[in-house]
Amino acid sequence: MSSSPTETVVDVTMPQMGVSVAEGTVVAWRVAVGDPIAADETICEISTDKIDTEVPAPVSGVVSEILVPVETTVEVGTVLARIATGAGAAAAKPADAPAPATAAEPPVEALPGPNGARARQANGNRRYSPVVQRIAAEHGVDLSQVPGTGRGGRVRKQDVLAFLEGGGGREAAEAPLHIESPYRPEPAPAVGSGQLSRMRRQIGEHMKRSLETSATCTTWIEVDMSRVEAARRRLGVTALAFVARATIDALREHPSLNAWLEGERYTQHPGVNLGIAVSLGDDGLIVPVIHDAHELSVEGLAARIRDLATRARARQLTPDEVRDGTFTITNPGQYGSIMATPIINQPQVGILDFEAVVKRPVVVTDADGSDSIAIRPVTILGLSWDHRALDGALSAQFLASVKRHLEGVVASGS
Amino acid sequence: MATRIAEPATGGPSAASAHLQPEDRVELLRAMLLMRGLEERAMTLYRQGKVPGSFYDGYGQEAVSAGAAFAMGPRDRLCILHRDLAAHLIRGVTPARVLGQYLGRETGVTRGRDGNVHFGDWRLGCVGMVSMLPDMMLVATGMAMAFKLRGEARCAITWFGDGSTSRGDFHEAMNWAGVQRLPVIFVLENNQYAYSTPLDKQFAVDPVQRAAAYGFAGVTVDGNDVEAVFEATRAARQRALAGEGPTLIEAVTMRMHGHAAHDDMKYVPKEQVEEWRKRDPIDRQSARLSELGVDVEAVRAAVAAEIDAATEEALAAPMPDPADAASGVFCEGEAEPLGDGRAPWSGFAQEPGGEA
Amino acid sequence: MATMTYLQAISSALRDELRADERVIVMGEDIGVFGGAFKVTDGFIEEFGPDRVMDTPLAESAIIGTAVGAAVVGLRPVCEMQFSDFISCGFDQLVNVAGKMHYRQGLAVPITVRLPSGGGFSGGPFHSQNPEAWFMHAPGIKVVAPSTAHDAKGLLHSAIHDPNPVCFMEHKHLYRRVKGEVPDGVYETPFTARVARPGRDLVVIAYGAMVEVALEATADLDGAAVEVLDLRSLVPLDEAAILDSVERCSKVVIVDEANATCAAGAQVAAVIAQHGFESLDGPVVRVATPDVPIPFSPPLEQAVLPSVDRVREACRELLAY
Repeated sequence: MSSSPTETVVDVTMPQMGVSVAEGTVVAWRVAVGDPIAADETICEISTDKIDTEVPAPVSGVVSEILVPVETTVEVGTVLARIATGAGAAAAKPADAPAPATAAEPPVEALPGPNGARARQANGNRRYSPVVQRIAAEHGVDLSQVPGTGRGGRVRKQDVLAFLEGGGGREAAEAPLHIESPYRPEPAPAVGSGQLSRMRRQIGEHMKRSLETSATCTTWIEVDMSRVEAARRRLGVTALAFVARATIDALREHPSLNAWLEGERYTQHPGVNLGIAVSLGDDGLIVPVIHDAHELSVEGLAARIRDLATRARARQLTPDEVRDGTFTITNPGQYGSIMATPIINQPQVGILDFEAVVKRPVVVTDADGSDSIAIRPVTILGLSWDHRALDGALSAQFLASVKRHLEGVVASGS
Repeated sequence: MATRIAEPATGGPSAASAHLQPEDRVELLRAMLLMRGLEERAMTLYRQGKVPGSFYDGYGQEAVSAGAAFAMGPRDRLCILHRDLAAHLIRGVTPARVLGQYLGRETGVTRGRDGNVHFGDWRLGCVGMVSMLPDMMLVATGMAMAFKLRGEARCAITWFGDGSTSRGDFHEAMNWAGVQRLPVIFVLENNQYAYSTPLDKQFAVDPVQRAAAYGFAGVTVDGNDVEAVFEATRAARQRALAGEGPTLIEAVTMRMHGHAAHDDMKYVPKEQVEEWRKRDPIDRQSARLSELGVDVEAVRAAVAAEIDAATEEALAAPMPDPADAASGVFCEGEAEPLGDGRAPWSGFAQEPGGEA
Repeated sequence: MATMTYLQAISSALRDELRADERVIVMGEDIGVFGGAFKVTDGFIEEFGPDRVMDTPLAESAIIGTAVGAAVVGLRPVCEMQFSDFISCGFDQLVNVAGKMHYRQGLAVPITVRLPSGGGFSGGPFHSQNPEAWFMHAPGIKVVAPSTAHDAKGLLHSAIHDPNPVCFMEHKHLYRRVKGEVPDGVYETPFTARVARPGRDLVVIAYGAMVEVALEATADLDGAAVEVLDLRSLVPLDEAAILDSVERCSKVVIVDEANATCAAGAQVAAVIAQHGFESLDGPVVRVATPDVPIPFSPPLEQAVLPSVDRVREACRELLAY
């Protein structure tokens, strides 16, 4: 039923004239489309196998549709006609009854608990009753080891209980050290067992959620870090600072990666708040954010990174310092790993992974176009990006920009 | 005891109305108009697909319930049948609740648990009927049994149709009531048909004659003269309270509509319908009141307005919550007995206890 | 405390109720002057008068129907069907008027219907029935079935106090054959099951006269520890107690004196199959009277009613499974 502020259309349906009646036939229409009609005035005549009768209009208004022609038989409830009522109709009838609620379903009986779904252990033709299986599962009993005294040799509840009392179950599975010795080795306590720490669980939740949210892809690029190496030795800063600066520049050129995607809402940010992942050892990791990182030079970035990392490890970060990042760099350290598939820091759309810088033989082309082999410090930068927000081509272009900036670092450091 | 057969009245102010004040007569008309108007409205709603199930009415026999119920005191108890809506209305059930009941709403008297006229507001002293007829004759007999046991000046009344007298419970109730001389009034609504079955297929002896066989009074009355029905019931109640036992009142009337909305009563000869149309109880009471100078149109208009308001209220009421469907099978607290109902007859106002 | 028979316990309950509550009346055929077909109400009319100890016409439908009427105006009628078999004549009033009244109309019907049931003494097809399943199946009616003198009195008090229609299945065969300790005065037995004998290896679930049969059949059964659970209340059915016994014993034999199909035991078996599945170490076994009218001649009757031997054999077989 359509409704607008000024007009409501009401259905006229085939009534049920008696509990067993299922259909009716329209015998005559008393109106035509466009005719006015008053509430309770007869709109049509019908015939059922119990009675012939008239159908009164449910509301006053104008007949807007006649859907069932004369001599047509339809099921009870079928819409026969429609009446359009104006909102200001003087004889407006009260609103139709709310749709009858569907009949209440009888309460569904709950099936037995999780144990109920356990498959029957069959060993050849041996079958085990529900209670026997349950006891066996609870105590780690291998039922094929249990002698059965029931009919046909079946294992009865008493049999598995007797088996347990006689020392069956998990203890029996461990062979004695010496066949005549009653000695049983003590089970060694597991190291590091127990529950995960709260931080670990939260990190886990965030990572899981990120993978479930983003369409995560990873693209890699090789970068010749010789110039960065030269410049950083001179400046006394980490390579990470150069990667950070190059990333910022690339984000300026490809602003669609400096963005948030929250559900369907995509927001590009004008400035770069750069998150740097900091390891907290066994406890996990945290991502402090350098706000307005685009305003900082390489040295400035290096100083901020150093400061944030120190305070992060000392658990001295303020809440503002871990918020509002627009892009993240992760740099796990110089352990020798060369590539990774980092997980995007929601709700960002990209994360850059900076692994080890390793000396490799590479092909260099001189000004004349001649190729030779040189030893260069090389790193592979990995960009995980959200395919909902961008495509592979753009990610590749972004990485190319980062590469270009890093390989174009002037020896003086800018 | 001899069976007394009253002469059926044919119209005009009747001598049987000596116990009625003018306002009583108006109230009787009002009750009949309200019953007819509500049933007509409900029939319309039924044809509009808003009333689930079946629909039954008492068109043309409104006097039988209006007249008889009007003679019942506040502490009396009633087992009301499906063509006796006026009895519920006199007792105090509001029109909005009646329509809510037909519509199956939460505000209906049974909150959607039972349909159409299968209701009785127990707080007003009415017991809701069952479909097996005339089961309620036994319930009324039992209520009367309790009154007699406790020595109370109260009576019970039940209505039932001509067809139901063929079933065993009719006999068991009549017999029990006769043996124990109970203060119960059995109102036999002889409306000529039980569904499509006419009287001559239902009994070989007029039921009113059987009353003598069970040891008590049987009276025939013009079922379309509301004041005659009232008078017969009032007299029966007097007899009951005086310890003279039950009365079988045969109210002769005609079922002017089909058995239910889905029955077009083709089996009824048209002449029979026409004959009875001339004896319409509302027309007759209206004529009577007009002669007394009552503004009958004003009464009609007031009733029509009441029905319109009730319709609006009932249509706006919610359906019952499906989550409740299986609740209330058992009483979990204390069993409360039936309560007292409205008894507008001026005769009840005279006595300090409200009893005539 | 006093030792009395099952029948005396029922009389005691009725007498105590008539004394304590002026709303209570007892009504039935031949219960007044004659004292009742089984003498349950012997001496009552002298103490309480003919109004409250009412000799009714021979009319079961009317007995139930008028009881409903009396109950809704404040009395507490206790009807007697002379034999439970005759409840079929009052079926309509009990199921359609009494049972459905509260759900439909919110009106409580506090009646008690005493039903002397059961066979074992050549009563024949119309004086030996156990019709409780018909009323377990009707919404709005409670059904109780004591097996001991103690419970006969306590359950009858509870039934009369209950604001709903209650069918009280008193087993004729237990009237004089069962004796027990019964507290003085009014007390209530709850509508729950009772462990008649605790056990571990198997549980026999029974009610009414079959409890004694179960106890006897399993008293000395190859050293097995057999539990006997006396249901006592059929509506409401004590599912928690049933499942608890099944959990501990894992093997179940259910005994019905009633005809097997759709007897109370069938409902118990369904409850166990659905909610006690994990505890089972064998199929749910039923021992019941076959679907025959109860025969008159002793060898025929004994052949159909569950006997001590039949119950014992069923238990033995299941124990060995």
